[in-house]
Amino acid sequence: MSSMNEDKNLVDRAILGEKEAFEMIIQKYQQPLLNYIGRMVGERELALDFTQEVFIKIYSSLRSYKPQFKFSTWLYRIASNTIIDYWRKKKIDAFSMDQQRNQDKDLPPLQVPANEQPLARKFEISQLREKIERALDRIPGPLREVFIWRHINELSYEEIAEIKGLPTGTVKNRVFQAKEMIRSLVEEKP
Amino acid sequence: MKCLTIEQIYLYIEKELSPSENKEVENHLRVCPVCQKALEERKLLSQATESLHLWEAPPDFTQQVMARIFPPKVSLPAWLGTLATGFASMVLCFFILTLVTGQNLRSLLLSFTETVFDFLKYLAPLFVKVLKLASLLVTIFQRFAEFLLKGLTLLTSIISMELQIIIISTTIILIITSIFALRRKLVFGEKT
Repeated sequence: MSSMNEDKNLVDRAILGEKEAFEMIIQKYQQPLLNYIGRMVGERELALDFTQEVFIKIYSSLRSYKPQFKFSTWLYRIASNTIIDYWRKKKIDAFSMDQQRNQDKDLPPLQVPANEQPLARKFEISQLREKIERALDRIPGPLREVFIWRHINELSYEEIAEIKGLPTGTVKNRVFQAKEMIRSLVEEKP
Repeated sequence: MKCLTIEQIYLYIEKELSPSENKEVENHLRVCPVCQKALEERKLLSQATESLHLWEAPPDFTQQVMARIFPPKVSLPAWLGTLATGFASMVLCFFILTLVTGQNLRSLLLSFTETVFDFLKYLAPLFVKVLKLASLLVTIFQRFAEFLLKGLTLLTSIISMELQIIIISTTIILIITSIFALRRKLVFGEKT
C-alpha cells in the first residue's frame, strides 16, 4: 500500500473511532513535525506543546480532510498556520508573509559571486553543521520554513508549493535564497 | 556562455534539471573555474545540511497526545455518587408525582415542604419524651446509689472493726479466686 493510501486508510479508520489508527498517524508524523516546529520556534518544550496542539487540531478536523490531497501536505499546512498565529501573537516581524511576497516579486536571479570565500577549507563538516544550525535561527521565517521542509523533512518543491499555495518557482526561489543567506551567515566571523 | 545562476547550480546539485539543461550546465562547468568553485561550495553546504541533527520526540509522546484528545474519565467519590443518586431519585419522584397528581412542580414542592414540617412537628414531642425518660432513669440510678451508700455506712457502724477486716479480706480472696477460676475455665474452654 502506498504511503498516500495508507494515510487515507488510517484517517478513515480514525474517523470511525479507531483510536489505534490515530496513534499510528501520530507515530508516523511526530518526528518530521517536531523537526519542523522545533526549528521554527527554537525551544524544545514549546515545540513539543505545539506539536501536540497540531495533532489535536488534526484530530478535531479529520472530517474536513479532502482525500484528493496528500495527508502530509494538509498536516504541514495546519502546522504552518499554527506557527504563523504564534509569531503574530508574539508580534514578531520575522514571519511577515506580506513582506516576503513583495521580496519574491522583486528578486533578480542570484548570480555566482566572482571572488567567493571558500568554506570547504575553512571548516570541518561538523563545525559547518553547527554554524548552519545557528544561521537557520537567524533567517526570516518564510525562508526558514521552506528550507526545513525541503532539506530536513525532505519534501518535494511541489509538495511545499501545495502546502503554501504558492507557485513552485517561488518556492524554489525561497529555498535558494535561504541557502544563500545561510551561506553568508556561516561565512560571518563570530 | 555567461556564468551560471545560483538557482541553476542548486537545481544541478539536486538533479532537478532537464537532460538538456543538465548538459548545458556541465559544458559550462568544464570551462569556468568560478562556477566550478561555486558548485563545490554549495555541494559542501548541501552535504552538511543533509546531516543536521534530528529532534527526537519523547517515547511517551503518542500517549501524551492521546491523553489530551481522550482525557481519562475521573471516577466520582462514593459519597458524591450517593448524593447524586439521591438527588436524581428525588427529581424522578417529583416528575412521577407531577404526572400522577397532575399538580405543577411549585405546588408539589410546597406540599412536600409542609409534609416535612408536619413530620418534624410530630417528631419534636417524641424527642422531648425520650429525653424525659432518660433523665428519669438517671434519677433512679442516683437514688439507688445513695441508698447503697447509706446501707454500707449503717453496716460499718454496727459491725466491729475486726469483723469488718475479716469480711473485706474474705471478699477480696473470694473475688481473686473467682477471677482465677473463671480464667482457668475460659482457658480450658479454648483448648477443647
